[in-house]
Amino acid sequence: MTIEDIENRTVLYGLISRLMMMEVDKTFLESIHRDEAILEMFPNYKAWSKHQELSMDMLKEKYYDVDFANLFLMHLVPYESFYTREDQMIESGGDNPVIALYNALDFRVELDKARVVSPDHIGVELEFMYLLNQALKKAYEAKDSEGIKEILEIQRGFLKDHLLEWAPLFLINMKKEAQTPLYHDGAELVLEFLLSDYEYIVKQINGYREN
Amino acid sequence: MTKSMNNQQPVFMESRRTFLKGTAYSVAGATLAAGAFKKIAETPAVAENSFTATPKTLSFYPPLEQWDSFTELDGHDWKRGGTLRNGVGSVDNPNGIKATEYMLVPLICSNCEAACGLTGWVDIGAYKQSKDPKDLKVRKYMGNPLHPASRGRNCAKGYAVQSQMYDPDRIPFPLKRAPGSKRGEGKWVRTTWEEAMQTIGKKMHDTLKSGDELSKKSIMYHVGRPNESGFGHRVLYSMGVDGHNSHSNVCSAGTRQGLTHWSGDDRPSPDWANSKLIFLQSSHAADAGHFFQQHAGFIADARKKGAKLVVMDPRMSNSAGMADLWVPIWPGTEAALYLYLVNRIVNEKDPKTGRDYIDHDFMKQWINWDVFIRDTEYLEFIVAQGYISKLPEGGSYEDFIKILREMYAPYTLEFAAKECRVDAATLSKLFDMFIEGGDKVTTYFWRAGTIGNRGGWMNVRAGVLALALRGCMRGDVGNVGCYGFHEIFINAKGDAATEAGKKPEKVDAWNELLFPPDFPLSTNEPSYLLPHLLADEAWQKKWADKGLNVPQKIAVYIPRMYNPVWINPDGFRWIEVLKREDKMELTFNLSPTWSETNWYCDYILPTGLAGERHDQHSEATKPARWLGFRQPVLRVALEKMGWKPTDPAKATLEAHMKAGLGEIWEEIEFWANMFVHYVDPDGSLGVKKHWASKEDPSRPVTIPEWYQAAFDHVHHLKAAASKNPKYANSKYPNYEMMRDMGAWLEEDNIFRPQERELKNENGVIESMEMKFDASTLTVEPNGVVKAKVAGSEEVKAMGLILGDKVVEGFKSSSRKMEFFASWMKEWKWPEYAIPIYPVTKEQREKMVHIVSQIHHDHMQKENDFALNPIFRLPYNIHTRSVNSKHLMEISQNHNPIWIAASDAKRLNIKRGDAIKVTITDTVSGLESGYFIAMAVPTEGILPGTLACSHHAGRWKLQNAIEIPGFKEKLGVMGMGAPLYEMTMDEKMGTLKPKQGIDAGLMERKNSWQFKEYNRDIDNVWWDGLSGSWQNAVAPAHPDPISGAHAWHQKVSIEAAGKEHKIGDIYVNYDNNMKVYQAWRDKLARPLDSTNTTRRPKELKRPVWALTDKAWSVNIRD
Repeated sequence: MTIEDIENRTVLYGLISRLMMMEVDKTFLESIHRDEAILEMFPNYKAWSKHQELSMDMLKEKYYDVDFANLFLMHLVPYESFYTREDQMIESGGDNPVIALYNALDFRVELDKARVVSPDHIGVELEFMYLLNQALKKAYEAKDSEGIKEILEIQRGFLKDHLLEWAPLFLINMKKEAQTPLYHDGAELVLEFLLSDYEYIVKQINGYREN
Repeated sequence: MTKSMNNQQPVFMESRRTFLKGTAYSVAGATLAAGAFKKIAETPAVAENSFTATPKTLSFYPPLEQWDSFTELDGHDWKRGGTLRNGVGSVDNPNGIKATEYMLVPLICSNCEAACGLTGWVDIGAYKQSKDPKDLKVRKYMGNPLHPASRGRNCAKGYAVQSQMYDPDRIPFPLKRAPGSKRGEGKWVRTTWEEAMQTIGKKMHDTLKSGDELSKKSIMYHVGRPNESGFGHRVLYSMGVDGHNSHSNVCSAGTRQGLTHWSGDDRPSPDWANSKLIFLQSSHAADAGHFFQQHAGFIADARKKGAKLVVMDPRMSNSAGMADLWVPIWPGTEAALYLYLVNRIVNEKDPKTGRDYIDHDFMKQWINWDVFIRDTEYLEFIVAQGYISKLPEGGSYEDFIKILREMYAPYTLEFAAKECRVDAATLSKLFDMFIEGGDKVTTYFWRAGTIGNRGGWMNVRAGVLALALRGCMRGDVGNVGCYGFHEIFINAKGDAATEAGKKPEKVDAWNELLFPPDFPLSTNEPSYLLPHLLADEAWQKKWADKGLNVPQKIAVYIPRMYNPVWINPDGFRWIEVLKREDKMELTFNLSPTWSETNWYCDYILPTGLAGERHDQHSEATKPARWLGFRQPVLRVALEKMGWKPTDPAKATLEAHMKAGLGEIWEEIEFWANMFVHYVDPDGSLGVKKHWASKEDPSRPVTIPEWYQAAFDHVHHLKAAASKNPKYANSKYPNYEMMRDMGAWLEEDNIFRPQERELKNENGVIESMEMKFDASTLTVEPNGVVKAKVAGSEEVKAMGLILGDKVVEGFKSSSRKMEFFASWMKEWKWPEYAIPIYPVTKEQREKMVHIVSQIHHDHMQKENDFALNPIFRLPYNIHTRSVNSKHLMEISQNHNPIWIAASDAKRLNIKRGDAIKVTITDTVSGLESGYFIAMAVPTEGILPGTLACSHHAGRWKLQNAIEIPGFKEKLGVMGMGAPLYEMTMDEKMGTLKPKQGIDAGLMERKNSWQFKEYNRDIDNVWWDGLSGSWQNAVAPAHPDPISGAHAWHQKVSIEAAGKEHKIGDIYVNYDNNMKVYQAWRDKLARPLDSTNTTRRPKELKRPVWALTDKAWSVNIRD
C-alpha cells in the first residue's frame, strides 16, 4: 500500500459519493473534465455529442437533474434498508445497523444537508468510506500499523456487510434505468470500483497479517 | 452474494478496470465529497424512556387507558436521528427531542354527514406548568381507533379540522349589524351573547305569546348538513312551532322519494364489504360520495376480496376511473337502463341451470304483489295506459310475474342503448356482471342521477326493482338493507333530564313555507323555494283564498351553520328576500365562520366547529348500529384537569373564552339558556319546562344531565357504563363513558332485520323503536299487524305475520316492499304508482313528469349541452371548508368545466379557454343568464354533456371589516373566497371578480388571530378564481312529485368575449322566478278539495309528529 493508493481511493470515494448523493453542479462536472484519467472512467459520457450542442448549465437542467430525480427520488430507492429488510421499509431510526455503526464511531449524518431521508443512502455510505480513507491516510502518515489494520478492517467489514450486500443490485437497476451517459457510466464505475476496492482491501489486510 | 452475482452477470466484469495502479488522480476530486457527516465528540446520555426508535406500525394510537396523558415525540425531530441520538428533551437534557404531553379527547368530525371519529390531541404539558388555559392548544386532529365504522381513518377534511379551528378569519365574538345600516351593507358592531339573547329572546317570546296559528309558523330554523341526530327538531317543536327547515330535499329528495315508495325508509344501507358487485349510480366511493371515507373503506375491503365495481355516470369520476366497468349514461335515463336489466331478469333464464333469474322466494314473500294483482281497477288503468295489453287471468303470484314479463319487455337492449346513449356491448357486459353478482349486489342511490333530474326518484323505483328481483334488497350479508335499521337517533332524547321529564307535545300547525300545498308529495322540505314562497304574494293570496293560513313573513329566521344564499339555486332571490325586513324580521346565523349568507343577517353568533360542540351523531354506514359523540375538546380537557365553570350550563362558552379560542359557544347550551332565561323566563309559554333542569328547574339543563338521559335510550351502552368500575361513583356514567370513548357500537352484523320476531315483554312490544300495547294487537287480512302505541289511543302498523311468527317487516304501510305504491292513485299520480319509464317520444311528452329536463330530446342546436353541476370534490364541503387553509390549498384549480374532446374539437374550444355557459329552461323556454368558466376537454365525459361542480366559486364583497372600538380588522373568508363586485336591481344580478385570494391576503398578512398557526399566510399562492357561482344563475326546478330541485341544466356554450373573465356571472332572476312558476303551474298537481290530509300518510314528515288537526286540510276550490 502506498500513499498514492490511499489518495487515489480518497479521490474516487469523494467523487462517487458526491455523484450518488445530490445533483451535479458546475464544479463537479469541471472536476471530471479537468482530469483526463477521471474522464476516462466515464467513456460514454466523454463521447456524448450533446456536449457540443448544449452548455453545461443547460445539460444539467435538461438532462442530469431530470435523470437524478428519476434515479434517486422517484423510481429507484437508493437506501440499504429497502434492499435488506423483509418489509422493504426505509429504516431511518436507531434500529438501522448502519446508523448504529455510525453512532458507535461517533459519526453523525446531517440528513437535511445530505437531503436524504435515512443515513443508509448510497451516497452517504460512500462518503463514510471516504471519511474512513482520510483516517487511513492519517494512520499511514503516523506509521500506526495497528490503526491502519483497524481502519482497513472497518472498511472491509462495511463493504462486506453493507455496501456490497445491496449496492450492486441498486447499481444494476440504476444502469438499466439511466437516461444519461453520466449516470449510466457512474453506475458502472461505482460497481466496478467497489468490487475492486474490496479485493484491494482484502489483499492489504492479508499482507499485514503475513507481516 | 456479490461473487455469485458477478458470476451470473459477466457483462459487468468484462470491462473491469484497475483504479489504482499507475494512475494519480487530481486531488481536486477528493474535495468533492458533500460533507454529510459531522463528528460529535460527546454523545449525551440516552435517558430511559418509553419511546421506540421507530413505530412498529403506521396506525399508531395509544391504548384508551393512556388517552388522558400520552407523551409523543415531536415529528420535526425525527430527522435529528430519533431518541437514540439525543434522548428525550427535559430540563436536564435541553437538546433532546421534544416530547409533548397530550390529552386525547374523542369527537366526531362535522365536515360531512359521515360522522367519522376523530381525536383532538390537546397539548396539556404547557398548561400543567403555567396553569394558564391559554396554553392549551389542539396540536392535531387524528382518527378515533374506537370508532366502529371509520376505524381510526379520516379523509382530508377530517384532518383539516385543526386548520378550521385556528382559522385567522373565524368569527371571534358575536357580531351585530350596525344600527342604522341596511342588511348587506357590511357594517358590523361587536355585541355580547347576553345582548343577542335578550334581543332575540324577546322577539321570539313576543312572537309565541299570541299562540295563534301563524305564530306557530313564524320562527324558522334552517339547517344544512345537521350532523346530529334530532336535536335541531326539538328546538322548534318544544315551542310548538312547525319551523324546522333543512337542506335534505335539495340534496337527496329523489332518492328519498323513490325509496320511501318501496319500503317507507328513505335511504339505503348497503353491506359493501361483503358484496360481490358494487354498482354505483353517479359519483361515489373514491369521489367523496355519501359517507365517503367509511364507504370507500368498505368498498376497498370488498374489492380486496375480489368484488367488481361498476360506475354509472356520464362523467368519469375517480370511482369510474378505477372501476371494472364505466357506464357513461345520458343523465336522467338511468331508469331506462335499470328496466333493461329488469326485462332480461324476468324474461330470460340462466343458461347454465335453466332456472329463472328471479329470486322468487324473496319476491313472493316480501313484495306487495298481492295488493297489485288484486286491484282490478288499477290493472284496468294500466291496460288503458298501454303498459300491458290485457288483464291477468288470475290473482296468483305467477300472474304477477306474467305481468312483469309483458310490461318490461319493451326495455330491450336496442332501446336502452339508444335512450341511455350507452353502447350495447357495455350494457350486455353490465347485465352479465349484475347476474354474476348473485344476491350480493350493493348500491347507493344518491346524487346526480337521482337529484339532478326531474323524475330522478323513478331511477330509484326502477333500480330497486332490478335489485329486488335478484334478492339483493333483503338486507342480508353483502346486499342492501334499509337505513332505519342501522341508525341511533337520540340527540333529542334528553327529555328525562328536563323539568317536564317528557317529550314535547305534537305540533299543532302545518307550515306552508315548509310543505307547500303545490307539492304534497315533496320529500323533506323543498327549502330551496323559501325565498320564492315568501316573495310570491300572488301565491300566498291564492292559497289564502283556498282556505290556508299561509305565512307572508318570518318573524325570526335562524340559519344554523348554513349558507342558503350560496348553495341553493337562484341565489340572488335569496339575497333579495334576506334583505327585506318586512319578510324576515329578525335573522341570525349560528355560524363559526363568515359566509355569503351571514353578510345579509342581523346577527352572527359564533357556535363551534367539530371540536367545539356537543352532538350525538349516528349514521347507517354499515350493517350495524353505532353512535358517535362530538365534544368541545378544550372544555373536556380543562374539566378533566380540574377546571370548573362558573355557570355549569354555560361551560363550553366559558371554556373557550378561558382557553383563548374566542367567545365560541355550542347550540345545546345556547338553546337551553335561551329558552330558560330569555324566551320563556316565567314559564308562561310552556317552553321553559322542556329546557330547565330536572335537578334544579331554576337553571338550564347541563350537558352531563342531558346526555346521561339521552344515552339511557341506548341499552347496551347504558349497561356497559353502569357496570364499568371507572364510573362507579359517577352521577353521569353514560356521559362520562362516552366523553372518554367518543364512539360506541351498540349492535353489529344486523342482517335481515325485517325478519326479526317481535317479542312481547310484560305486555309491551317494541318495533321500529316504538312501544306498542300488546293487548290491542289486531291482524289485517293482508297479514299486517296493528296495535295501539303504548300510552296513547293511536293505532299503527307494527309488524307482519310471517308463517307462525309476528315479525317487524319493513316500514311501509303493508310492511312489505311496495312494487305498487297504491296510495299514488289517490294522490293524482296513478301512472307512476309502479316502476315505469316512457319508451317512445310520444310517451315522453305525456309522461313529462318523470323525464329529465335535460333529456337529449331537448338538445337541438350544435352547442346545446346537458350540464351536471352536482358532483362532490373530495376535499370540499359546500360551506364549511372555505375556512380551511389546508383544504383550500389542495382544491385549487380543480374545478374546470369538463367537455368531451370531440365536442371541444367541433366547437374549436381548447384547454383553458374561457367559455360562456348560458342556461335555458326547457319547460318555460326562458333564459336565466350565464356564467363564465374554464373549459378542459377530456375523454372522460359523455359527448353532449358537461360537468362543473358547484362546490367551488365562493365570493365575498369585502376583504375585511372594521369593528368600532376594536383595534383589529376581522378578515372575511381570507383563505377561500376571492373578492367580487356585485350589482342587483330586483331583476338582474351580476358578479365580477375584483381581486384574488393571494392578493387579498397580502394586504393583511399579519392577521391577528392564532398567529402561531398562521405564520405561512404569506405563502398563500392561490387566487381562487377557478370557479363561478353558477348556483345563482340556475333557476329552481321543483320536481312535481318529489319536490326535489332538479339540479341539471340545459346550457348552450360559446367562447367568452373579451369583456368576460372566468368567474363572471349574469343572472336574470326575474326570469328565474318565472321558471319556478312554470314548473309549478305546468307540472305539479296541487292539493284540492278531494284531499283531506296535507300529504299522504305513507310519506311521513321528518322528524317530529304533528297533530291530526295539523295534518288535515279542507281546500276550497
